[in-house]
Amino acid sequence: MIKKYFVLAAVFGWLILPGSASAHTPLFSCFDNGDETIFCEGGFSDGSGAASVPIIVKDGEGNVIFKGELSSTSDIEFKKPEGDYSVLFDGGEGHRIEIPGSKIFE
Amino acid sequence: MKRGLLIFTGLIALSLFCITPAWAHFQMLYTPQSALERGGGMTLKLVFTHPFDAGHTMDMEPVQEFYVMHRRGEEGEPRKTDLKEYLKEINWTGRENSGKAFEAKLPSKIMRSMGDYIFIVVPGPYYEKADDEYIQQFTKMIVNVGGIPGNWHEPAGLPAEILPLDKPYANWTGGVFRGIVMSEGKPVPHADLEIEYLNYKPNMEKNAFEGEAEINASHPSFETMGIRANAQGEFAIGLPKAGWWGIAALGSGPVDQHNGKGLAQEAVLWIQVTDIP
Repeated sequence: MIKKYFVLAAVFGWLILPGSASAHTPLFSCFDNGDETIFCEGGFSDGSGAASVPIIVKDGEGNVIFKGELSSTSDIEFKKPEGDYSVLFDGGEGHRIEIPGSKIFE
Repeated sequence: MKRGLLIFTGLIALSLFCITPAWAHFQMLYTPQSALERGGGMTLKLVFTHPFDAGHTMDMEPVQEFYVMHRRGEEGEPRKTDLKEYLKEINWTGRENSGKAFEAKLPSKIMRSMGDYIFIVVPGPYYEKADDEYIQQFTKMIVNVGGIPGNWHEPAGLPAEILPLDKPYANWTGGVFRGIVMSEGKPVPHADLEIEYLNYKPNMEKNAFEGEAEINASHPSFETMGIRANAQGEFAIGLPKAGWWGIAALGSGPVDQHNGKGLAQEAVLWIQVTDIP
């Protein structure tokens, strides 16, 4: 499923930003720390970082329950939500990746 | 007549012996997949063998160094993690015998994050009786998690190493792989290289090679392929078949004596080739 998001992100980036000199693809990953916190990290396929990219966590109904941004080292940690949730890497048009909580493992 | 037959038989036997290929020694640092979608636990096998033939498995000496260097992205210093605590001695079975080898079952905390992981093993020098000298291979194998590149192209600081110019974990069948042979941080002009295909499938549960050969070579030159780097130490090889390929730079290390005998220090790099789906 995550692969699908990678592919979608790559395709959208290519279609929406045809004039961009950058061919990089956004990449985003999260894992469960096992201590009721979630760790997420992002970056691009050319190795560049994703500092300050907004991270939005939504509950199962789509309500925003947490907002933050990736640190200078392109990562973030937040409290694991109860129940269903998803984490959105909001890098702008063509650079958005959403990971459902069901795909975030220890 | 009987004497003539004996001489004839002897000559045939001698000629067969003489054309038996001298398969190259390769320190394996193996895991089934080097381009991972996500991180987690991983098992590695450290085996000293002849990967094309998978015949004789050499007894590994105690491991001197075993560690991983990780970096996510192009910035910052790689993080080094010692892995010796995870080594466990095993017996690896080849097609002719079993030999002392090692495995490492790494917990998920080692490689959960995205980026490149350069795994490095430095085994103790192995005495090769046939050559009356020791051999020691500084071996690298690079895994990527999630697609964000890191330090795959950077020197690990080994006395001898092969510096990749292409990602070792992202090669299509039919592509080309390039690298530079380095010794003490400098390119080795006209370095002598040997390349072998991992020709039998490793069984991670049984600690053994199994099945039939993937390639039946028509001539010994196709089993261990010898090439030379150019004057800048650079080389390029074609990648005709999916799987793992080992590249060894012979005699590229700075030390040539051990225990009063000759020592061949070599740099080894493993690369994985993938068929286009």
